[in-house]
Amino acid sequence: MFPNGQIIVNIFISSSHILLIAFSFSLIYYPTKFFHIAHAVIITSAAYFTFLFANQLSLPFAVSIIAAIAIAVCIGLLCEILFYRAMRKRNAPALAYLIASIGLYTVLQNCISLFFGDDTKIIRTGEVTVGNEIFGAYITDIQIITIIVSALLFVAVNLFLQFTSVGKSIRAVSSNPQLCDIYGINSNRIILIAFGIGSALAAVAGILSARDTNMTPTFGFNLLLYGVVAMIIGGVGSTRGLVAGALLVATAQHLAAYYIDTKWMDAVTYIILILFLIWKPLGFSGVRLRKVEI
Amino acid sequence: MEYILHLLIFIVFYTLLAQSLNLSAGLTGLVSLAHAGFYGIGAYTTAILSQQFQLPFWINLPVAMLVCLIISLVVSLIALRTVDDYFIICTLGIQVIIFSLMNNWMDLTRGPLGISGIPSISLFGIALDGKIFFLLLSALFMLAVWYALNNLFNSAFGKTLLAISEDEIYAESIGKNVYQSKVISYAISAAIAAVPGALYAHYISYIDPTSFTVAESIFILSIVIIGGMGNLTGSFLAAAFMILLPEMLRFVGMPNNIAANMRQIIYGAILVLVMMSGKNGISEYFRKIKES
Repeated sequence: MFPNGQIIVNIFISSSHILLIAFSFSLIYYPTKFFHIAHAVIITSAAYFTFLFANQLSLPFAVSIIAAIAIAVCIGLLCEILFYRAMRKRNAPALAYLIASIGLYTVLQNCISLFFGDDTKIIRTGEVTVGNEIFGAYITDIQIITIIVSALLFVAVNLFLQFTSVGKSIRAVSSNPQLCDIYGINSNRIILIAFGIGSALAAVAGILSARDTNMTPTFGFNLLLYGVVAMIIGGVGSTRGLVAGALLVATAQHLAAYYIDTKWMDAVTYIILILFLIWKPLGFSGVRLRKVEI
Repeated sequence: MEYILHLLIFIVFYTLLAQSLNLSAGLTGLVSLAHAGFYGIGAYTTAILSQQFQLPFWINLPVAMLVCLIISLVVSLIALRTVDDYFIICTLGIQVIIFSLMNNWMDLTRGPLGISGIPSISLFGIALDGKIFFLLLSALFMLAVWYALNNLFNSAFGKTLLAISEDEIYAESIGKNVYQSKVISYAISAAIAAVPGALYAHYISYIDPTSFTVAESIFILSIVIIGGMGNLTGSFLAAAFMILLPEMLRFVGMPNNIAANMRQIIYGAILVLVMMSGKNGISEYFRKIKES
């Protein structure tokens, strides 16, 4: 076994986590144009509800996952219906949404802490299996599932955005909400659909990630921030950029872990973000965005 | 009694933090999530200077402020190339990097072990470690900062900063240097955050990175928002409220571990409500009631 093969496998696993989260976040970011930080709780709550149903109530694993995803999607939809929609009616500035969503995140994350406790939890399903060996690198079943599920969902939702009328409406609202209202596309309904799909993807990512390693009530926040970094450095509004961003973040993290120390992974991620904001504020794709050019 | 003094000292610390953040976030509109980082840099600079070089508080404080000023100048030159929510994400990144340095740079900060045995403040060779003395000293700093910030808010430069937060392009069109004013405002705000940092280190005598996390930054920001953007008295009242809130919860019989979560739930909920209503802080609600 040589370590470099293992690093490449690990990079693929991490980047599929990050890609799925970046994609789910951007689905909400494009039509609404604000950072929905409370998205982190969707990731966390899906994992915790899976834990509750599968481990504490001993329901079948498939049922638990579906129920947990449904609950997480409901939380995402309620955020939009109860809070963001009212703010949109008032024409609140983008900053107000961001701060409100930080507040929402704080409330919901602490609710999870209250109910489940702050200690590290693991979702268990049956016996522990030995990893499969590929080219001298070890990869567990759940990690293979992660890569396949992320890739499938990414392609499927992208096809949905390209070819269905609802998907096209989401892209239309993303590029010009006022014009959509003129053409009779109900932007509120489209944004709600985007919240639904985005939350479902985040829930899947949360469950996969928690099943692969373990979870604490704040693990969603870190994952989400990796996704946000990947989205920004990939260039907002570009599908290929998103993939490149996720790969770059994962590669940087694992190389930092290998050559320096795992504890510097977070710092390296943000240093890359800041370097991009200085020298390449439009990301890989170079799609113009008003906010990053003063 | 000792405990009440302890709470009062913390109210003073958070007033200092909130009022300094109010300069950049409230007046200039630069909402920053790195404030706990600068608070931490102030505390760590003081801790290292007093522990390794046995320097007194009167030297540590200006050095801590200078370190914060220099780091925040570098940081703001980078971060201020972005605006609005990208600026917040950028400052969040800076906060994580600062925390990561405190937590992992073992040689300098001793990482998660923290730095212990920081001596208390002494004056003319006499150690002054009573809580009453400490409260008076901190309150003195608070009043000085309050007075200085109040003057700054009402000065011509303060008006420029207000103009920038309301209409950046207009401010630029009447010949104000927007970028430079923003950098100065951010740097002053960070330098003042070093004051409670230095006081905290000498007061607690042991510091570790968990006091300077992202959650702490969000906490300081919510004090500013609850008190009202650009409202210094509001920051003081909100700081008092936020520090006393868990005590009130404990008073009505809530267990300690639940009270900590409940406090965060309550301040998160207040943040959401204030942002949804579009009002500037809680005080505006009361003003509306008085007027009607």
